[in-house]
Amino acid sequence: MEEMNLKISSSPHVRSKDTTSDIMFDVLVALMPALGFGLYLHGWYAMLLVVVCIGSCVGFEALYQKKMHKKITVGDYSAAVTGLLLALNLPPKLPIWMAIVGSAFAIIVVKQLFGGLGQNFMNPALGARCFLLLAFSRYMTNFVYDGVSTATPLTILKSGGEVSVRDMFFGYTAGTIGETSAIALLVGAGYLLIRRVISPKIPLVYIGTFAACIAIYGVTKNYDVLEYTAAHVCGGGLMLGAWFMATDYVTSPITSTGKVIYAVLLGLLTFVLRIFGGSAEGVSYAIIISNLLVPLIESVTAPKAFGAGAKPIGAVEDSNDHKQKKNETSDTETEASDEKNGEASSEETEKNPKKKPDIKGVVIAIVAIGVITIVMGAALGAVHDITKEPIAEAEAKAKEDAYKEVFADAATIEVFADDNISIDQVNEAINKRGFTDVYVDELNVAKNESDEALGLIFLVTNSSGYGGDLQMAVGVTIEKRICGVKFLKISETAGLGMEAQKPEFLEQFIDKPVGVFTYTKTGSTSDSEIDALSGATITTSAVVDTINAVLSCIKGGY
Amino acid sequence: MKHTFKGGIHPYEGKELTMDKDVIEYLPKGDMVYPLSQHIGAPAKPLVKKGDHVLAGQLIAEAAGFVSANIHASVSGTVKAVEQRLVSSGSKVNSIIIENDNQYETIEFTPNKKPLNELTREEVIEAVKAAGIVGMGGAGFPTHVKLSPKNIDQIDRIIINASECEPYLTSDYRRIIDEADKVIEGLRIVLAIFPGAKGIIAVEDNKPEAIRLLREKLAGDTDISVNSMPTKYPEGAERQLIYANTGRYINSKMLPADAGCIVHNVDTAYAICEAVREGRPLMERLVTVSGDAIKNPCNIRMKIGTNYGELIECAGGFEGTPAKLIAGGPMMGKAIYTTDIPATKSSSAILALSEDAVAEMEPSACIRCGRCVSVCPGRVMPNKLATMANRNDIDGFIKNNGMECCECGCCSYVCPARRHLTQMIAGTRKLVLANRKK
Repeated sequence: MEEMNLKISSSPHVRSKDTTSDIMFDVLVALMPALGFGLYLHGWYAMLLVVVCIGSCVGFEALYQKKMHKKITVGDYSAAVTGLLLALNLPPKLPIWMAIVGSAFAIIVVKQLFGGLGQNFMNPALGARCFLLLAFSRYMTNFVYDGVSTATPLTILKSGGEVSVRDMFFGYTAGTIGETSAIALLVGAGYLLIRRVISPKIPLVYIGTFAACIAIYGVTKNYDVLEYTAAHVCGGGLMLGAWFMATDYVTSPITSTGKVIYAVLLGLLTFVLRIFGGSAEGVSYAIIISNLLVPLIESVTAPKAFGAGAKPIGAVEDSNDHKQKKNETSDTETEASDEKNGEASSEETEKNPKKKPDIKGVVIAIVAIGVITIVMGAALGAVHDITKEPIAEAEAKAKEDAYKEVFADAATIEVFADDNISIDQVNEAINKRGFTDVYVDELNVAKNESDEALGLIFLVTNSSGYGGDLQMAVGVTIEKRICGVKFLKISETAGLGMEAQKPEFLEQFIDKPVGVFTYTKTGSTSDSEIDALSGATITTSAVVDTINAVLSCIKGGY
Repeated sequence: MKHTFKGGIHPYEGKELTMDKDVIEYLPKGDMVYPLSQHIGAPAKPLVKKGDHVLAGQLIAEAAGFVSANIHASVSGTVKAVEQRLVSSGSKVNSIIIENDNQYETIEFTPNKKPLNELTREEVIEAVKAAGIVGMGGAGFPTHVKLSPKNIDQIDRIIINASECEPYLTSDYRRIIDEADKVIEGLRIVLAIFPGAKGIIAVEDNKPEAIRLLREKLAGDTDISVNSMPTKYPEGAERQLIYANTGRYINSKMLPADAGCIVHNVDTAYAICEAVREGRPLMERLVTVSGDAIKNPCNIRMKIGTNYGELIECAGGFEGTPAKLIAGGPMMGKAIYTTDIPATKSSSAILALSEDAVAEMEPSACIRCGRCVSVCPGRVMPNKLATMANRNDIDGFIKNNGMECCECGCCSYVCPARRHLTQMIAGTRKLVLANRKK
């Protein structure tokens, strides 16, 4: 027989065709619709960001592996997937160098330092995103849509504004490059499901849990539940996170039950972070926090081996026999050990060696939970920091609008600046006049086109409202008449104190040649008498007080 | 009821290569080699020495204890030597070599035509033991031992494993198509010595012709049912097979008898029938010679002890140059480096593949995709066990149910990182078993 070159290997001798690089490539393909839409929306600069992220992720991986004398494995596309996911999680106008820093963090710190592919404890792309959010929060929360800086739909939703679910579904909103279009992401997810790269378990349970929580919350808040829930599900990277990042093999549980627990946890965390956290977003933090819990989840959900606990038929008698024998032996043992008590205890501990790993397990669990708590605290703190600015921005805008409203004639509004008079002095004066609850926050001058002062705009807070602070903008003309009142903060009783916002009530102050207003419950008979809000005397009193304090400033020379 | 289990895979079946071809009867020409260890248990004790003339069917080595099996000559000729010979497992085993005189002189057998209800337990077990029958599915567990469980009264299911879930293999299928009556008779004989038991013939649904034929032959029979099982590897693994057909679980510490079951391979049932009814010892079996590097893939009815090279020639020889030769199926069979190996009682197949991707596969890092866990019929976590095996963490391996692995190969099959999970786990299992014997 001819010479043969036969190969020897252990069974099985056939293998499925799927390889790691096939799987990673499928993920890249699945992200194409979302990427395409992002580029269509944001143009060439976004394209540049994507190329830089993928390039630097692959580059950093190759560089690290070369320097560490490891096998270079960039051919498995895993670094490319990380790069693309990171890019899709970045705002479209992020400076290039920050994207490179993020890529380095993802690949070197999160992935390679912990042992490379398969060893990272959290999703590298999300780890890097959260790192960038902490390090460069201003840039990371600067979302541009249609050339204009805009708040994301979730931020608008959180501050009580209205959003278009339709636009959110198709993706015509502000957000990161890849998160806005729910439909594009779903098309990609469908591809992954058909290719059996991911199972729908984690995304469906995740989105389901989250939607249920949001719906319940929406009901308690009297929102339009359907629209509110739909907006939350389509918005803020939930689709990107649930289908492409929560399903990351390395950082999600392998076990079937574990997947469900993990997904429920994700849903709850996202809900809590979005609603009660400082930021409008929550998906990224929810996923990286849950990533940390994966080893714990996996260890408690290890599958029961086939036939575990199965008993031979007729084993009942057998085991009884066994027990009896055991009892007999232990009886003799106790008799024997009566004389040597010291050794008996050590014998016992040896008999129960199982106790040791239990204690170890508890310690590990406690340490793990401690770590998680710290990380969560840090994360929440970070979220607060990150969102401070957008919230402050929204507030500033609301103020500006209010000023314009209370002084409709003004062409420009400037901060009142006079070297002789400071706000502190004004407040001191008000205090002396007996308006102890009133505090002036800001003082502005309203001017006409030819830069002549038309009057002042006060931002005043009265701390004696029924339901807390009342903050209002009050415009006073140079003729010492009130020209507009607008509430910025009011949390009075609905239907009673809240009625103070109504024009019918506020109009009573407008343009009256009055120095001090009073209120009456029996019907106004003069300009200086204000009809009190029925059932809301405290609110009425607070408002009237505030107006009087403002007028007193004008009269008092300030 | 769906006769299946959780997990499993769907590899390329390759059964169409040989399924519908007639079985070729092959008479060997060269020397015959009879390893003394073709079964689980003690090696048989040789009864012949160099120069002895033997006849086909003559006992040449006897069981050396209860868990052991007789070995018979399958040709007539002269004993050439008793020496170490290479077998398919890769080790050398003491073997009797007989120079074939090509006369095929056979000893006389004594048939037993007693009706089933008159067969006694002792009679059947004695006939099976004398015939040297072992499990012919691959493991080679002596059949007379299987038929003598401690809890005879509790045995209520006799299962004929006709699932043949290994790709390429069709010998059991051909046995059913050609000799259904004898297979059924073999099962009836076993049922006769377990009066409380019902028979089940479990067939995968990729063999509809076999299911149809068996159901036709067993129409009206209330003692034997034919179960059609979904085609899925490893449907024929003993523990999974028992669960799929009875809903009972057994683990690695239990025997099928602990769940009231006895499982036999199709060819074993046929051999039982031959042994009890004709008095014929186990001298022949069906072997599938297949794969894309075989010219004429087919099933061969061959004499035990025939050289693999002769069997491959019988199937037309190689087509091109084979890259891999496998003794058994592609999932659990052993790769061999030469054709100079004797066919034994449990040789179910010889496969020649023109391409072998496995030997050159470069394993990469586990990406924790979890595919191994979801396909594992033993419901263990192969990724975790393989890591422990690598670290030589024997305690962790046992604690994480490493011993429940049946080495079916599903985990390695699906692993996208090409990790040799089954190999790592199987190696550690052998180590643990060897330590236990010490």
